[in-house]
Order: sequence, then structure tokens, then C-alpha cells
Amino acid sequence: MANSDVGRPSNIPLMTISGLLLLYGVFVMTGLFTPLLKSLHVHKQIDLMEVLCFTAAGLGFATALLRQARMNKPMTKRDIYVLETIPGILFIMLLAMGIRWFLEPVVGIVSVQLVPLLGFKIHKVLNLNYVVLGIIIGIIITNTWGIPKFAASGVKTARFVLKMGVILLGARYSFAELAKLGMVSVWMIGFFVLGTVFFVLFLGNIFRQPKSMTGVLSAGMGVCGVSATVACAPVVRARCSEMAYTIGTILGFGILCMFAFPTIGKIVGMNPTQFGAWAGTGILNSAQVAAACLAFNAVDIKTLKVGEIFNITRVLFLPVIVLVLASWYGRRNGAKLSFKEVVVDKFPIFILGFLLLFAMSSVGLFSPPGHYKGKYLDFSYNQRTEVTPEELTVLENAQQTGIPGLDASEEAAFADLIRQHQIAGDFNDRDNKEAFDATARKRMAGLESILARAKGREIVISGEVKSALTHAVKQVHKKSKTIVTLTDAMIWFFAYGLIGLGMQITRKSLAQAGGWPLVMGAISGVTKAALSFIVVMYFVRDVVLK
Amino acid sequence: MEENIKLEKENCPTETDQDQLENEERALSVFASEKNEDLTALTLVLIVTFVVLLFTKWLA
Repeated sequence: MANSDVGRPSNIPLMTISGLLLLYGVFVMTGLFTPLLKSLHVHKQIDLMEVLCFTAAGLGFATALLRQARMNKPMTKRDIYVLETIPGILFIMLLAMGIRWFLEPVVGIVSVQLVPLLGFKIHKVLNLNYVVLGIIIGIIITNTWGIPKFAASGVKTARFVLKMGVILLGARYSFAELAKLGMVSVWMIGFFVLGTVFFVLFLGNIFRQPKSMTGVLSAGMGVCGVSATVACAPVVRARCSEMAYTIGTILGFGILCMFAFPTIGKIVGMNPTQFGAWAGTGILNSAQVAAACLAFNAVDIKTLKVGEIFNITRVLFLPVIVLVLASWYGRRNGAKLSFKEVVVDKFPIFILGFLLLFAMSSVGLFSPPGHYKGKYLDFSYNQRTEVTPEELTVLENAQQTGIPGLDASEEAAFADLIRQHQIAGDFNDRDNKEAFDATARKRMAGLESILARAKGREIVISGEVKSALTHAVKQVHKKSKTIVTLTDAMIWFFAYGLIGLGMQITRKSLAQAGGWPLVMGAISGVTKAALSFIVVMYFVRDVVLK
Repeated sequence: MEENIKLEKENCPTETDQDQLENEERALSVFASEKNEDLTALTLVLIVTFVVLLFTKWLA
């Protein structure tokens, strides 16, 4: 129900916001801000800035005019649902722009400057990206000045926009990634996802926590952190403070894991595949999985790849978890739900949207079907995929001089790159795409291995050779423009939604939730890490990926 | 009975309840129902997807 008690606040804040957006758009268009934007590394988004600023400013001025015409008149449905929400929408948009274009890059730059002092990038360790910054800014606003009256209605669109973000999340993954995992790995991931969910529900029962809190925490701890929390919150009617606690618990636990996992992995002598599987199962946040994998082994790319695949596979269990929680929540409320009621009536439509986008992505509507987050490999013969003539000369000279320490596959890949000027399969196999791509993948792995070993100082290659090899590998890595754009849209929706989410978290509501979510999160997280450690050590060998 | 309720109100401050209500009210959506909200979100995402496909794939 929309709030009809907000009244009709003044038009001045809306005009001010619209004016600011217009002014910013004009400054960007005239190039006045270009040096500043370049120093913040956001100059590539200048086109987007102009479009967003001018569209939002136009919408703001038009709304202000319409509102002015309707001042002192009784509220109609159009006033409540449209005209009165737009000022708040523009207010959050302005904040989201500030975070994405200024605060996030500034935090990154300051963090890099602090590396000599701290020895690490603090924004990476504390995960200070737009997700965390958005929630923090929202919390600060609501607990200091309070939500401005003119924005009160618009803030209520946050949950709706977050749902749009979750639907778009489906576009980033494809079924091909699942198919790459063996059945053992899929069972293992499924067991830990569902096991953690049930374990947290059990803990919630023991600690007598509200079922909305327990439900949302179980999804966050079981699946994949922030997106699972957002996706499952409406199913268990979780409050914003409960979502914030869950996100905080997940990120906090992840920070501990980022340091503990690589150290433990090295002490017990895990191989790269085992560590990737363990980190991908035990750590929740994708960025933290990547950081832990790189900290464990920056040389063998397999660690990161296995970690990432284990991590994203969990996202695909999201619809199953939604079903489980819908059923559990219904039963806990005293209602006996039939299968039809859970699957048809209680299943959120926006999760169906997630599945729809996932299906569209899997059939190759956005990118070749085998893509991962829009990235795919293209080994087809193409002049744009070749190394430059100068790079070719550098590689030929290096071959003549010889690179000591290369193994047979690396040497063969190196020789073929010089022969074909690009990473490719055998020319005779060009009509058999599967065989052609398989050979090309092997050759690419050989070149990547040379680069990784050079980075790890196992072999020595000149800077020019390194640059030529890096270029050759980069040329076959393509990115789908469609998925990149959809991902960008998803990030904006999440940024918007999380600021709104933060604005609904008061100190009192956090105090009401108490410290129990943190305790439950810590117990379930440690249990999952310990059990997955045992499984990985005893059951996972090198053959995780097909 | 009425006296009991009156006593209860005097002994148990309702501030927490009011906060709770306030929190829940703030978390409410601008949509009339959950179904409307989900359907609107899905429709808008499909429109966004169509526009993105149009400009990055079909017309590019």
C-alpha cells in the first residue's frame, strides 16, 4: 500500500536535484570535468553520465511542473504511485551516481595510496565497493538527518529495483558452466548449499530467532551472499535490518576466510584444484573467493577457475532455496502447504524471471552459449585476433635464442603461435569446430602457463615476449557487449536498491535484531568450512573439471 | 478485563511496537501487491533486455 499520509511536500528539493543533474550533465558534455573523471578512471562512462543526467533532469522538471499544477488538490492514484515517488527515485539516483562515479573510485585510489603504509589494499580486504558503500550511505542518512520528506515515497521503490537486479543476474550465467563440472562436484555443492540452509534454520530454532531473520540468514550463508539475501528476503518477509545483518555477517566472515583459507591450504599442502574447490564452497562472496584463490596460488590459473566455477554454481541453486524457504516459512506460520501451493502460488515471479534470463543466456541469445559472465573464447581465424608484425618478430627472435625451462607443451604452443600468428587449432581441423577449439585451448593453456611461470619467477622471459604473449591470449578472449551492458544495468539496480535498503535501517532496528545473527553466521560458516575441508581433502582430486 | 489491559499498557511501554510498525511501514512497497511488484519488475527487465539486445546485437 502506498503512503497517503506523506502529503504533498514542496517542489523545491525536486527542482534542486533536477538542476544539479542538468548542471552536471552540461559540465560533463562540455568537457569541463574530463580531467577529473580521467583521474578517477571513470571517463569511459561519460556517455552514460550524459544520458542518465539529462534524462533524469528532464523527468524531474516535468514532474515538478505536473506536481505544481496539482498542488492543493486531492491525491489521486497517479499522484500516489507516480508523481510522489519520482522525487525520491531521483534522490536515490543522485546518491547512486555519487557513489559509482566518485566515492567508489576515490576509496580505491586512497586505498592504493595506503598500500606502502598498510601493506595491502584496504578496499579489497574490507570489500568497500558500491554494495557496502551504498548501504553505509543509506544508514548514515537515515540515522542523522533522516529520510527527507520529499523522498519518503520514492525510497519504497528500493525493494522493487533490487528485484530487477536479481532478475538480470540470470543473464550472466549459462548452463554450459554447470556442464563443465562433474556430477560429484554438483552433488557436493548442492549438499553444502542445502546443508547450510537447514543448519542455519536449525540454529535459528535453538537461539529462538525470528523466522524472517533465520530464513534470510540461511539463504545468505548457504548460497552466495548479497544476491541470495535480496532474492530470499521477500519470501520470508525479512525486514531491511535483517537483510543488513545478513550481508554484514557474510562479508565479515568472508574477510576472516580470505586470510585463513590460503594459510590453512598451504599448511596442509592442498593442490590448486583442491584449494579452488574449498574456497569456492566455503567462502560466500565472489570477490573474496577470487582474492583467496589468488593469495593461495597466483601462478596456477586452475585455482581461480575452479574457485569461481564452484562459487557461481551456488547461484544456480537459488530457485531451489527459494522453494525450500517458501515451504518452510509457510509451515512455520501454521499453514499446511501443498506442493502446488509452494511451487505455483508461493514461488516468487521475479525468481522465474531470473530463470527466464538464465535460459535465454544458456541458449546463446546474449553471447555464445559457453560464455561465463559474458566472456568467451573465439579461436576462429581473424586478422584482428593476430599478434602484430612487431610482436611476431620479437617471438621469432626469442625462439631462435631459446627460452630455457619450457616444457614440451609450452614449447609447442609457442611454436604454433609463431606459425599461425594467433592462438588457433590445427588448420586441417578448421571444419571440425570441437577438435579445432580443443587444440586451441591446449595451446592457450601452454602460453598462459609460460606467463604464469614467468610471473612466479620459475622461468625468465623478456618484457617484450611477455607483452606479445599477453596480447595473443587477450585477443582470443572476447566479451559480449550485450552481457556487459546488462551487467552494468544490474549493478545500477543493485546500487540503487542497496542505498534504499540502507535508508530503512535505523539504529533501533539493528539493536532489535541483536548480536545473534552474527553468532549463528559464525557457527554455520565455520562448520561449513570445516566439513568442506574434510570432503575436499578426501574426495576431490585433480579431475574436478571435465 | 479492561482494567487489566489498561494496567498492561501502563506497565509495558508501546514504543517498541511503534518502532516496529514504523520499520515495517517504511519497508512497504509502493505497489499494491507483491505480484504486481514482481510482474512490473519482470516487464521492465524484459524491456531493458530488449533495448540492450537491439542496440548491442541486432543493430550493432
